Amino acid sequence: MDALDELLGPPVDLEDESDSSDNSSRKRHKSKLPLAKPLCAEGQTESGFHKTCRTCLEHIREAMLHHRWQEAAEYMVSYTQVLEDRNKGRALPNKELIWRISTEILHHLSHSTVKDYNIIYERMKHSGVKHYLMICLEHSFHLMLHGQIEGAKQQLSVAESWRHGKVSSSQHQRHKLIQAYRSLLDYMIWCDKKSTLSTNNFVFDSDNQAMHTYFRHASVNLQDILKNPGIWDPFILCYVEMLEFYGDNEEALKVLNDYAYDNSFPPNPNAQVYVYQFLKRHNAPEKKLIKVLRNLQILVPSHELMLEYSYLLLQSEKTSDTEKALGVLLEMLDFACWRSNLDVWTCLKAVTHQLLLREDGEMTVCKHMTLRKDWWPALHFTSFHAEKDREESSKLLEVKASLAEILCPGRALKYTADEMPT
Amino acid sequence: MLLLTFQGHLTSTDPLDFLTHMQNFFMDNGPDAFGCMSEILGDNFYFRKAKTKEKYRQQSVNMWKTKSYVDLLKYKICPMTYRSKSLNKYCSLLSDVIHDIPPELLGSLLYEELVEQSDRAQFFEGATGGALAFVPFSQSEGCLLYPGGPGMDRLNFHKVALQHPGERPPCLDASGSAPASFQLKAAIRQISCGSLFGDCCVAVRSDHLCGVWRFSERREPSLLQVVSTPAAATCVSVSPHVLGEVLVASESGAAHLWRVGRGMQRVRAEESNLYFNAKSSWRWCEFSAHPRVMLYADKTGAELTDFRVKAAMSAGHTLFRISSTADCQSGERLLLCRYLGDAHAFHHLVTTQHSAYIMDERFPCTPMLKWDHMMQAPPLFCHVEPDRAAGGTTKVLLGSQSSQEITLLQYSGGRVEACCSRGSPQVLLRPTDSLGRLPPQIPHRQKPAADRLASPAAGLTGFQVRDRLCVLQLTEAGDVFYQTMERRRRGGEPPEAPEAASDLRPPDVMETSPWRHAHLRPAVCDTWSDEDVIGPTQAPGAQTVVPETPEREESGERGRLQVFINDGTEEASGGGEEAAERREAPVTASSRTLHTWKVWLQKLRQARQEAAHGAPRFSVQTRGLLHASDGDAGGEELRRRLKRRMWSRSLLLGTAAAVDPVPVPPLVDAEAWTDPVSARLTVAWRGEDEWRAWWQDRQGLNRTTKMEALRRKRRREKEARRAARGHMELTGSFTSSVSYQTELDELSGSTGWSSAASQGAWSDGELAALLEGDHAAAAPHDEDVPPLTATPQKEPPSRPTTPQTPTANQRRGRPGWLYETQDGPSQSSGPPLRPVASSSSSQLPGSQPASLRPTFSSLGDSQFLSPIRASQSQRGPSQSSQPKKKKSRMGF
Repeated sequence: MDALDELLGPPVDLEDESDSSDNSSRKRHKSKLPLAKPLCAEGQTESGFHKTCRTCLEHIREAMLHHRWQEAAEYMVSYTQVLEDRNKGRALPNKELIWRISTEILHHLSHSTVKDYNIIYERMKHSGVKHYLMICLEHSFHLMLHGQIEGAKQQLSVAESWRHGKVSSSQHQRHKLIQAYRSLLDYMIWCDKKSTLSTNNFVFDSDNQAMHTYFRHASVNLQDILKNPGIWDPFILCYVEMLEFYGDNEEALKVLNDYAYDNSFPPNPNAQVYVYQFLKRHNAPEKKLIKVLRNLQILVPSHELMLEYSYLLLQSEKTSDTEKALGVLLEMLDFACWRSNLDVWTCLKAVTHQLLLREDGEMTVCKHMTLRKDWWPALHFTSFHAEKDREESSKLLEVKASLAEILCPGRALKYTADEMPT
Repeated sequence: MLLLTFQGHLTSTDPLDFLTHMQNFFMDNGPDAFGCMSEILGDNFYFRKAKTKEKYRQQSVNMWKTKSYVDLLKYKICPMTYRSKSLNKYCSLLSDVIHDIPPELLGSLLYEELVEQSDRAQFFEGATGGALAFVPFSQSEGCLLYPGGPGMDRLNFHKVALQHPGERPPCLDASGSAPASFQLKAAIRQISCGSLFGDCCVAVRSDHLCGVWRFSERREPSLLQVVSTPAAATCVSVSPHVLGEVLVASESGAAHLWRVGRGMQRVRAEESNLYFNAKSSWRWCEFSAHPRVMLYADKTGAELTDFRVKAAMSAGHTLFRISSTADCQSGERLLLCRYLGDAHAFHHLVTTQHSAYIMDERFPCTPMLKWDHMMQAPPLFCHVEPDRAAGGTTKVLLGSQSSQEITLLQYSGGRVEACCSRGSPQVLLRPTDSLGRLPPQIPHRQKPAADRLASPAAGLTGFQVRDRLCVLQLTEAGDVFYQTMERRRRGGEPPEAPEAASDLRPPDVMETSPWRHAHLRPAVCDTWSDEDVIGPTQAPGAQTVVPETPEREESGERGRLQVFINDGTEEASGGGEEAAERREAPVTASSRTLHTWKVWLQKLRQARQEAAHGAPRFSVQTRGLLHASDGDAGGEELRRRLKRRMWSRSLLLGTAAAVDPVPVPPLVDAEAWTDPVSARLTVAWRGEDEWRAWWQDRQGLNRTTKMEALRRKRRREKEARRAARGHMELTGSFTSSVSYQTELDELSGSTGWSSAASQGAWSDGELAALLEGDHAAAAPHDEDVPPLTATPQKEPPSRPTTPQTPTANQRRGRPGWLYETQDGPSQSSGPPLRPVASSSSSQLPGSQPASLRPTFSSLGDSQFLSPIRASQSQRGPSQSSQPKKKKSRMGF
């Protein structure tokens, strides 16, 4: 009873303000860097109740950080009493704390069941309105993880129709997420239906109808959501797949183009890749492909599609395209991940040979190499590189050695295809 | 400030303690503080007894009384009892002329210095990056780079070998060779290493000097070049692409590309902070996937800068920005960047006080992954160990300075799959923790050892050998500690979880994976675990190897352990000749570990003793202090017996030799005296308040207040009951695996409600008792002891008592599994199917995963409105009016 008495007594409410503002009679010097707030800060005037809670929380923290989940669960049994704290400032953070800690512990207990999760989620959902949407979302993720797609969808539908008070900006954002995920689940069910339809040759009309309903549900939401600037990669893929299934290629391309080229969206190289893949699927002319790839090259010069880009450039008749291909390949080779890639080096060899057939070819190569000449030898053509390439791929060694002289003329390079005298 | 070196042992750096520091200075270093004036005034004062004065100094003032008073000041005395009028007079006469340094000036300087020191103690950004590095040569050999010497100004290159003696935990052996060392001019703040084809380039940073060494397995380290920076250097970073290229950033805001032997090139200059004014001149540079693009960071964010564009006009692409990254907290600052070239060519690690981010430079401003690292002190050191085997995890170790924390975060993905964190943050052992795992020490040795171990961390590194991860940590005292962690295999469980494809995992990593099949486990010589007798060496089989060996890394022969004792620390260590025999008590650590610790502690003690020799010590003569008088035969006898008892470790109880016991008078039974006078007397003994209350009670003056109190009490009990019932349900999910659905079914039955009611009424105390296995105490509770939260009014009078027994049994059954060790395979579900394309972000802006969001650190958020207690308050009245009806657990 002691703890309760103290808890209900009047002075407790004031305590929080007093200990946070001024710690002691003399003010402590404040650090320049705002440090993370300690989780278990000791208050100056602290009731027994708060002290027990704090100590318990410390133990839980310690146990969780050392992955002693069983121990943490045992402490957690007692820690729920913190919900009795009537202090308005603390109640909400406490609820969040309980929610997060509990689910985290349950994740790691081998004998936790879905029912346990449900209890926590449902209870916490209703005890703090502020967290309702977040908990709903997490709950549905949990259900998804356990394969209960329908259950997850139901959770999201409930959350979708939930309103409370004024819609704050964060609430608005969460609503959108919830909508997006609900559409994603619609899509998944649609996929299921589609696969059953394709296996059964005999098609019931009602099944078909249901599938269309899911498509409609998903597409209405997704269309709406994809207008908001953001990164919606998984969602847009679903949407495009559904549109393509129903043959609405124009709409699909429009959606993808909007996603890739709208300036209000954050720069997203994936969006360009999606456009490219879409165009390729539908056998678009090379010109269009090259255009998309040129945009992608500006964003990510190291992308793996650049190899394809250079092939395309090489195939085109224009002379300036060969030069472009040289630039693309050299830029690829700047990056660590392509340095020992045989394909890129072979392609580079083809490009330089094609260029050298022309009279100003040497000049062109030189022009591209001026910026690189002081660090390329160290980056590609040292004796260490030669040794390593010899061990790993003699083909690469051959290609690189033949290019060394062309790319870095006049430098005494130690990179040769001959065996080093050791 | 010079004088602080005298006060080496004064640990307090509270700036407001400057008066104490000044006092100490005046007391301990009088000649320095008052030198000039004492020369001038010296002739006029005479400090000896008055007798001989006449002979020598006719003119001087006799001061011996004042002096004896001043001598007293060394001790703690009461200023009111001891006061000297003459001293006060002298004080007002001379106080403004006697100091060599005006006290106002001294005070303000001292205050400034203390402010800086206390800042440094909390967080010293100069140490960012850490001064410890390990360069592996082969599977079992490598070179450890660490600073040594009393000022941490000696750079050591030390070849170490990793030994795997069978099943025992691996250990580092540094005894093979002496380190190659270089004496530098200033303390080493950071060591950065880059190796290419076995050739290694090492950049070392001290405050104003940076140097580059080169070495390889066969080649002895040699110094290539040293540069000095006009402003304090804050970062050096060795290029992973081209050997001999180093980035240097300094507090002036400039970043230079230093091509060793070929000069410096300024690649970026900033007057101010990047995105907003963070009042910090700390800068950081890292290379990126392109050898001519660098990451330039300060406290507000990080930008990618291309060198090839002229420094003046390069704007840079924002990679990370504090204010625009979703879910940044106010006051959050960037603390450390690291290019993760080994793990992924385009990934960068960015840490703040609260979180750690994985950023992809192709996808700026969108974190691929975000963790809350849960560290109390800001992380300043990091080490990243890429996944060697397919399906493994990339391990990120974050180390903090003041609290020595090391946190291990793991993630996978980043290429075909989206980044995904694996498991929750795990804390590794700290040097401070290790003393508790060793055999106990004598207190006066425990203290210095603990102090030494608690010195802040100064570096962190690690390396992976097969399934083992070895983590090394450097402290500011110059010690290097290591621990090895082993991948734990779950016995009997196939490495891949069976049910796979049906699971969908949303790109937001909302839940830390409960399904990882193998994880790292710290080497724990746990004292908490049930089998704490099992040392790491005797771990049963290959299943759960528990190899925690916090060991002191020894360098060279053991004589050269870096136990440097700073001269300032002089604590009287009263005679300590006992050798450390008591150590062989077999406990948790392996014998080898124990031996290493023993040697370390001995070294520490020796060094302390050597250091302490010079300083005079205050000693008290204790001989004969407890000496019994010789003639006392009885005393002699007593002493002999006492000795014998001590020998046999038993109590010496009163015998014939003891004094005859005086019989205790019988207790007065106050209850037996019922007349008013006796009652009044009894109450009067309990104090005046009691007596007054009794009197008022008797007069009937306090009826109304009593009624009020009773009413209040009832109300409180009601509320308590309601609240208790609420959290019981939550508790239930931890204590019981009984589904709530079945309980609902039970509730509809006739006996069901009582079981639930009794569950509601179970107080925490009883639960705790149950959890401790105190069944006997807990079971009959309902009958005789009223539970803490339940009250008599609450219980319906007709409550059947029989159904309680099954409940008790049911409860009693639980602690059994609560105490099961968690060996069983954890919940497993298959690898997730993700609808995420390659290199796509794992998160959406604004949708930072909730589970990664603060559980611990975000509590202070003030954004929450006052909670609406809809559930509880609605439920309340209906229940209190009809206690028999139980509602379902979740229905509101």
